[in-house]
Amino acid sequence: MAFRNRDRKDFNAGVMYIVIGAFFALWAKNYPMGSAVRMGPAYFPTVLGWMLAGLGAILFFRSFFAHSEEPPTKTHWRPLVAILGAASLFGVLIGPAGLVAASATMMIVGAFGGWDFRWKEQIINSVVMTATCTGIFYYGLGLPFKLFPWS
Amino acid sequence: MDFSQLIPHLTLGFTVALAGQNLLYCFIGCLLGTLIGVLPGIGPVATIAMLLPITFNLPPTPALIMLAGIYYGASYGGSTTAILVNLPGESSSVVTCIDGYQMGKQGRAGPALAIAAIGSFFAGTVGTILIALFGPPLAELAFEFGAAEYFSMMVLGLIAAVVLASGSLIKAIGMILIGLLGGIVGTDVNSGIARYSFGVSELSDGIGFVSVAMGMFGFGEIIANLGQTSESRHVEVSKVHSLMPTKEDIRMSIGPIMRGTAIGVVFGILPGAHTVIASFSSYTLEKKLAKDPTRFGKGAIEGVAGPESANNAAAQTCFIPLLTLGIPTGAVMALMVGAMTIQGIAPGPQVMTQKPDLFWGMIASMWIGNGMLVILNLPLIGMWVQFLKIPYRLLFPGILLFIAIGAFSINNSPFEVYMAVLFGYFGYYASKWGCEAAPLILGFVLGPLMEENLRRAMLISRGDPSVFFTRPISLGMLLVAFALLAMIMAPKFRKKREILHDADA
Repeated sequence: MAFRNRDRKDFNAGVMYIVIGAFFALWAKNYPMGSAVRMGPAYFPTVLGWMLAGLGAILFFRSFFAHSEEPPTKTHWRPLVAILGAASLFGVLIGPAGLVAASATMMIVGAFGGWDFRWKEQIINSVVMTATCTGIFYYGLGLPFKLFPWS
Repeated sequence: MDFSQLIPHLTLGFTVALAGQNLLYCFIGCLLGTLIGVLPGIGPVATIAMLLPITFNLPPTPALIMLAGIYYGASYGGSTTAILVNLPGESSSVVTCIDGYQMGKQGRAGPALAIAAIGSFFAGTVGTILIALFGPPLAELAFEFGAAEYFSMMVLGLIAAVVLASGSLIKAIGMILIGLLGGIVGTDVNSGIARYSFGVSELSDGIGFVSVAMGMFGFGEIIANLGQTSESRHVEVSKVHSLMPTKEDIRMSIGPIMRGTAIGVVFGILPGAHTVIASFSSYTLEKKLAKDPTRFGKGAIEGVAGPESANNAAAQTCFIPLLTLGIPTGAVMALMVGAMTIQGIAPGPQVMTQKPDLFWGMIASMWIGNGMLVILNLPLIGMWVQFLKIPYRLLFPGILLFIAIGAFSINNSPFEVYMAVLFGYFGYYASKWGCEAAPLILGFVLGPLMEENLRRAMLISRGDPSVFFTRPISLGMLLVAFALLAMIMAPKFRKKREILHDADA
């Protein structure tokens, strides 16, 4: 078996489909299945889950025989961690610290995902965008935000 | 078709659409849509997901009018970017890049933009008239539909969406299934059981697919853009000298605009990647019809006029299945369903009879919005050019902030932000492995609807699945779905689809 030559994209996607499909189908055992006439809450996810796992299995096995295509691109850790980390930080901060602090922090952390980070311009950018968004969403659209930690 | 009702309907529509507030929101929508759409690397789906929260506090009619405006604005903005910097903002303006950017390099960016605007406006007008003409009879037909027909129609819609989508068929169907499964997370309407909620109270309300779209398209696109090296994102903006097309330009564009509109109108109604296919088909047709096909790729104005008209006509008519049947045919329309649901409107044929002011107001505003775009895009082109010059390293943190605030405001809870982050991760890896996000979004919206109609159809037929094959309309739709699947297996078609995919990438 030419494991090294397998189509990595198909292989990974296949494993993902099998895991997700089997999970949904097996977890559905916690719910009543019902019958074809009166379908219970488990019916639809069980059928779809196994269909998904089946497709995953096809991809999985096919990946060993396919001419190895170009491998998937390497993970871009820097933007991935910076962008999603910044967004998570926003979620953590918005409750206790309010919109202004959460936005400003997120802009700076997120900016680290870019290629050339310069403190000066990103701080200005962060202040300007925070002010703009506060203006649009809080004052303009009247969305119920807490602005500051003390408000 | 009942033409006698058309005039009173349109009068009602224009009365609604021209009411001060609605006109203003239509304008704001077009402006914001263009503004975000012009930014390279942000497609219409991400734009709409990002701007959706600003409509939450509005009443339904202005909210939907504004969203429709955002959608055309974003599509339009993508064309501007394609012509000026050779970076398509979305897949449907990929073809516009080919000849549009060449025209720009020859100093003819102005005429290219003007022709694109004129063609789009013409196409938009035709599209709007068609919606007004065909909407009511189609909605009448939809009232005859039972659960079996709805189920089969959704099967057809999903199959068509993957057949026309790029990439691997198996992977696309897989993404649909994941979407359908994700869509049914939450409290089951029949039994009241909270499925797959794992005791998390937010999950028992279901996964909001707006945050899914924000994560997969918004965060995903930013990460993908940043993953490219800085050189490949170096932006060189073509100069715009004069907007006026020459007489020769106009003469050469009339034919392509007409043909492009006709192609777009047809592809728009069909489910799937309508705008992309429409613009590609139009480009291919114009190249075949041209006396001198070698001009294409070197700045032929027909290569801008045709695809841009086709693109916009399709963007218009893809509202027909949504407004009359309540079935979204793509990721953008899926977001419109979400917006309608948030506003408390169940999309479907009943919207037209129960809320005629909303239905006709929206149609009238589509035409007005298309007109506004011409005004927005031509005289204000200088402003968009300036906007294009902002370096991406300053743009993306702002976009990120917009998405985060948007996700938070869905329920006023950080939970949706975390969901968007989760789907950002998922979407990033999925697209790396060749699995696209668009089919998943469509599945997400259709999941609960499909399950409900399947259950109802089986209940009525007492568990006999042949109900889907004995009712003629249902059978017809399943046969078309089957034919589409068979077609995609055919080697000849497969090759064509791959070419399209390569051009798309």
